[in-house]
Amino acid sequence: MFKRLQTGNALKAILFFWVIFYLGKVFDAYNQGQLSVVLMYFIGILSITFLTGLSGQISLGQGALMAIGGYTCALGILNLGLNYWQSIIFAVLASLVAGWILGVTAARLSGPYLAGTTLVIALAIPSLANRFESVFGGDVGLSVDFGNPPQWLNNLIGEIGFEQWQLFATLPFASIALYIALNLFKSRTGRSWRAVRDHEIAASLAGINVQRMKIFTFVVASGFAGLAGAMYGLRGIVGPSVYPISLSLALLTGAVLGGLRSIEGAFIGAVVVVFLPDLIEKVTGNWELAPQIGNFLPAMVSSLLLILTVVLNPAGVAGALHHRKPRHK
Amino acid sequence: MEQFLSAVFAGTASGSIYALVALGLVLVWRGAGVINFAQMGQAMFSTYVASTLIMHEYSYWFAFFVALIVGTTLGAIVDLLVMRPLSGKRGSAMLASPAMRATVPVIASLGILGILQSAAGMIWAAEERGFPAPVSTLGLSIGGTVMPFTAFDLFVIGIVLVTLFITTVFFQKTGMGLAMRASALNPEVARLSGIRTSSVRTLSWAISGAASSLAGLLVTPSANLSPNSLDLILIIGFTATVIGGLDSLPGGVLGGFILGLLISFVNVYRSPSDIFLAILIFLLIVLLVRPQGLLGSKEVRRV
Repeated sequence: MFKRLQTGNALKAILFFWVIFYLGKVFDAYNQGQLSVVLMYFIGILSITFLTGLSGQISLGQGALMAIGGYTCALGILNLGLNYWQSIIFAVLASLVAGWILGVTAARLSGPYLAGTTLVIALAIPSLANRFESVFGGDVGLSVDFGNPPQWLNNLIGEIGFEQWQLFATLPFASIALYIALNLFKSRTGRSWRAVRDHEIAASLAGINVQRMKIFTFVVASGFAGLAGAMYGLRGIVGPSVYPISLSLALLTGAVLGGLRSIEGAFIGAVVVVFLPDLIEKVTGNWELAPQIGNFLPAMVSSLLLILTVVLNPAGVAGALHHRKPRHK
Repeated sequence: MEQFLSAVFAGTASGSIYALVALGLVLVWRGAGVINFAQMGQAMFSTYVASTLIMHEYSYWFAFFVALIVGTTLGAIVDLLVMRPLSGKRGSAMLASPAMRATVPVIASLGILGILQSAAGMIWAAEERGFPAPVSTLGLSIGGTVMPFTAFDLFVIGIVLVTLFITTVFFQKTGMGLAMRASALNPEVARLSGIRTSSVRTLSWAISGAASSLAGLLVTPSANLSPNSLDLILIIGFTATVIGGLDSLPGGVLGGFILGLLISFVNVYRSPSDIFLAILIFLLIVLLVRPQGLLGSKEVRRV
């Protein structure tokens, strides 16, 4: 898979780590929390970047894959006595398996048929939480968290707040995810995905096993989504209300706004989705809007941005930034 | 036995609404190659308009027809403002492959759904509203015995059957219907034989808007109206089209009735929380046997 691990990618991931780490030290507690959600969304959006942007398969059920990661992680902590590092890894493994099952089922479907199936999955998986209430805790869910920061880290950088620890615990995983994503993008696998997306028959004539590639995309995308979901749940609660359909749609919105086909785009999209409501509140704070207008303004603005992006600039923010450099796609 | 009969009737009534939703979806899919996830958002919006009119003491039927007109207009507006400009971008790198041509309009329609829902929230404060039914929603009693169905069930089934009949006649017997079928079958040839394919496409959006606003009017009396209240109806209607075959009108209608009965039986004999699991299992079985849906035509691949 990785014939040449490019050192440039490792440098990028390390740079990413330090920049976010620095921001985590200067931000206030609220924004530290928001930044950690950005990282979780970033990983979740990466799964859409692979699935939809690179491989051309649409999924409206990424939230369900995140839920699988979240529940596995929570059960690992609560029932198996794992610590959160181990149970995040456990959750990723479980999600890879779930992605494989989904991929085998879904690889024959395309376009709207796939969208429909993933949408129903997004509704059905959370309803399992009520079906097996004793295991999954029903509507209330299971309560888990990142625990306390280790003492050596406290000694190293000073007292760590709750939100800050949430950020610092997420950051290593986000950096690793970024590193893997950067490598996959340029690898033979990434090129095969693009080939499948652009022309299935041509790709299969060029010796690519289309079915196997599609399944593999689902496995990878599901791994990313499971990782994101595990950390998303560790903010406090793993339950059906934590992974609603609107989460899947928010991820898709972020992916499109940032740019469906690039890793930078995934990050930009995550930043936009998480910080847009804050920004709108800051701008309109003095306008004395009626509460009903203020409540729905963020949804209105992000939907408008979504449509404008799709119609005017389908490559998203990252695509617009790349526009000057002539590159073959 | 009574339980069984009431499950059958409730299932047929709700199934006929899903059939209507599926009809709207298939129309747009055949006419424009787009799955319109905003469809029930449009219906929600037009039902809110009707509900506001009724609150201002207008008659049910006046509000009913205004809602249909609003739904039709919204359908046409969606096409003119978003989908037509989008289909003009077919040459761009993002839309170059068939996979992306199916995906990108779906995303656009989700954006439209978001706009309609937040607009409804802003205008009507997201308050939950009831919505009247034109006839009684209590069990119909004939000669002293209470029947396992209501007058409203019969009303819904009747109005949907009439709609399906009109649609069939429209497509089989009128010139406009012929033009729509031709454009769906082969836009290039249709254009060459003098059909204005872009107007035909707008027309299919408009008819689909009318069908879905009718579905909204018929489903809301049994549930409350809120900006998100029709989301589930859309998802079930969409699943019905996938089960029946996306490009087949009878398929979508069949899928709607099947799902209506399935949901009703799970509801009566198991529990409401199993509904989506049952739908998922049924959907997967159908798609494993026939990936193109029950009545859908197999996609022909050309190099």
